[in-house]
Amino acid sequence: MRYRFNFETFKTFARVWRGQMGIVAALFVTCAALTLLLPHFIGVANLTNVVRQVSINGILAVGVTLVLLTGGVDLSLGSVVALAGVTAAHLAHPGDYPAAVPVLAGVAAGAACGAVNGLLVALCRVPPFIATLGMMTAARGLALALSGGRPVSNMSEGLTALAGDVGFVPAPAMILAAVAALAWWSLRNLRQGRYIYAVGGNEQAARAAGIPVRGVKALAYTMCGALAGLAGVVLAARITTGQPNAGAGYELDAIAAAVIGGTSLAGGVGSVGGTILGVLLLGVIGNGLDLLNVSSYYQQIVKGVIIVGAVWFDRRKRV
Amino acid sequence: MRTALSLALALVCGCGRNQSADDRGKSPVVGVSLLNMANEFIVTVHDAMSERAAETGVRLIVNDAQRSPERQVQQVENFIARRVDAIILNPCEMEASSPAVRKAVAAGIPVINVNSETAAAPAAFVGSRDEESAELAMEHIARRLEGSGGVLMMEGYMGQAAQLKRSAGARAVLAKYPGLKLLAAQSAEWDRAKAVTLMENWLQSYGSACRAVFAQNDEMAMGAMLAIERAGRKGDIMVVGVDAIRDALKAVRDGRMEATVFQDGRAQGRGAIEAALRLIRGETCEPQTIIPFKLVTRDNAEAFQ
Repeated sequence: MRYRFNFETFKTFARVWRGQMGIVAALFVTCAALTLLLPHFIGVANLTNVVRQVSINGILAVGVTLVLLTGGVDLSLGSVVALAGVTAAHLAHPGDYPAAVPVLAGVAAGAACGAVNGLLVALCRVPPFIATLGMMTAARGLALALSGGRPVSNMSEGLTALAGDVGFVPAPAMILAAVAALAWWSLRNLRQGRYIYAVGGNEQAARAAGIPVRGVKALAYTMCGALAGLAGVVLAARITTGQPNAGAGYELDAIAAAVIGGTSLAGGVGSVGGTILGVLLLGVIGNGLDLLNVSSYYQQIVKGVIIVGAVWFDRRKRV
Repeated sequence: MRTALSLALALVCGCGRNQSADDRGKSPVVGVSLLNMANEFIVTVHDAMSERAAETGVRLIVNDAQRSPERQVQQVENFIARRVDAIILNPCEMEASSPAVRKAVAAGIPVINVNSETAAAPAAFVGSRDEESAELAMEHIARRLEGSGGVLMMEGYMGQAAQLKRSAGARAVLAKYPGLKLLAAQSAEWDRAKAVTLMENWLQSYGSACRAVFAQNDEMAMGAMLAIERAGRKGDIMVVGVDAIRDALKAVRDGRMEATVFQDGRAQGRGAIEAALRLIRGETCEPQTIIPFKLVTRDNAEAFQ
């Protein structure tokens, strides 16, 4: 049994590697080019920076991958990040509660938003684009109302430690690694994980096969919301405040990372491993452009071209 | 609720076309369209306006344009339709908000621009000269570094009036000090989280040469400060911001941030109401009331609370 598990794991790695050749090559070429231009790019200090900086987008991207796999989309991520951050910051003043309370409250706030999205999509049959667009506006409003439009500061060190380093490894990167490993394992080994692929691949067939389609969708949105809540708490720890305006546009970065990593917007196709590669590619490019001191105008152009280029390359390869 | 009530009142009062407030013997009504009520600074301007309006018996109708110039133009159209006595505009955008000013002027309603300008000329402008904030900040850096050393500049959202003017002000001062070297200037889009990331990356490239960071607002200054502290470089790189938000004032008092620049939102808000009253009464009004910025360092931070 144990041997079989290891063998399966190996086969999966091989399959992920084969499916992701394009993006692995892109990542390798980008890193090699940056190393030639800037020797300190490949230094431990800078690589630590990169993994710290990609963590928040990484957690969001893993979450949105679950939703994209069901054939849905979640546009509310950025607003939920702000709401969770404000919620956590409110409960994280020094001497208030142990750090676990604000962390759990932030995750719970995110999960609640996700659950509402899931109910709207699965039970009320509101198109995901519209349901989560509504949540995007509502969660932002709630974050503003909760904070009175002002940043919530005075955060305990227990919570800011979430953005610190454990030895040489940034804590946010460890959180991302744990989230990614858990999501990867669940999608492969849990029944609900396989159902997510089935629902996104062919909803009618899944229903005919007796898969509880509504429950699976609600679960995916709730998990995605909970991860957005977690990302919001990590972001608040990183900037030592709960910012009601934080996270604007984060959903697009997360979706871009997932799609670059081979996740299909039509559902049913994609993997956590690919998403993490997409997150790393976007992160390395952002870091490299800053190190090279490329003008802010051109940075936006480069990012746009890379997002479209990576997906185009990927599709061309598959057809 | 109060807004709804004043809206209803304004509708009732606004029925008497072409009558000035004095003819009706009622308190004057002023329509206010604000850039964004989710912005701490704009909230300060708004609170000062409501306070001064209550003192002088002016009724305010306050609308939030939520950063949309198009919504702002609609709001001003509604004010014109209601025949308000004056309009206070906190423009979203220099060009795109200009039609609002032109329409009100054509309808014979005096317009007061507060905080930022439009291309179209209003009856009065009450605000500050944005270049001055960056000049004060950069002059302070030059003084503290005794005119030599590497400087980094974090810019606001590219293309916005505040970013363009603060960059111009900072570069004008840098030109006076050949020993001050601008190592890099990049946008962190006014955002604290983006500023942390940018500063982490800058520390990789310019960590040894950099002596000071000028951030065009305090949110970004707070982000730069956090990244510098986490890298253990607090002693050797100073951070200067603009806006004097609460977090920044505390950081300056605690010696974590070198300085910030205070923009007097209260004086702007009260000044706008004063200008509106003068114009409604037909008195002369200065076409430009410039409220000066003030440098805030550890020595005087207590005074700004």
